[in-house]
Amino acid sequence: MPVLESAGNYVDWGVFHISVTNLVIIGVMIVVFVLAILLPFPKPHEVRESEERRP
Amino acid sequence: MTAAPQAPPAGNWTTALRTRIVHVVPPGQALPDRQPAYVASWIYVFGVLTLASFVVVLVSGGVLAVGGVAWWHTSALGHFVNSVHLWSVEIFMAVMVIHLWGKFWMAAWRGRRALTWITGVIAFVASIGTAFTGYLTQSNFDSQWISGEAKDGINSIGVGGFFNVLNPGQMLLWHVVLLPVAVGLITVLHIVLVRRHGVVPPIDSEEGGS
Repeated sequence: MPVLESAGNYVDWGVFHISVTNLVIIGVMIVVFVLAILLPFPKPHEVRESEERRP
Repeated sequence: MTAAPQAPPAGNWTTALRTRIVHVVPPGQALPDRQPAYVASWIYVFGVLTLASFVVVLVSGGVLAVGGVAWWHTSALGHFVNSVHLWSVEIFMAVMVIHLWGKFWMAAWRGRRALTWITGVIAFVASIGTAFTGYLTQSNFDSQWISGEAKDGINSIGVGGFFNVLNPGQMLLWHVVLLPVAVGLITVLHIVLVRRHGVVPPIDSEEGGS
């Protein structure tokens, strides 16, 4: 009989029961959300040119 | 010399429909080439990322439908397309949730945008239903296990009589026809409303605050 693979790793915290994979995905999503707010958005070409021309 | 344009005849449904469309989204607003300065932020990108990944989901799902169950379980190309479908859904749900977070924290329902917010919520819920029925149509032990677990939840809310998660044929049709059509239609309505009312401004700008 084949040996079944492990059902994965889980984090238990009170009533919370979540797989490590899902927890990592949620963490990555929060990081992406924060980066989307903090990282500067590239300016259009014409805006950059006009800013460079300005003294 | 050209004749003066005549007024459209009364009761012309084509004219009425055109007038209605122009009234809903005025010319120039449907596909604008300029946006307010505050839109120059990465957080405003996640709506269109959701839309782009939704297109990949639909196309890869269409290819899976052409090949069929035996194909996506047994051939290398079938495995690849199956994986593209899975991962495009993962990205779709992730960027949609980040889009939701962004819109929640900027109170995007301001400025008569309540219906835009509500259609977004309905699209989100319909997408979850589509994803869940997708679990049930994998035709493997995973879908068998999930349907066995799901039946108790569905029965507990009293809809198991006509929405039978243990019926793979019914779940397949919900997954590939009814729910994608629902998500597609509500998404079109959502985008039309976004184009009609424009992108919500920041809370501290002149237009916002109410």
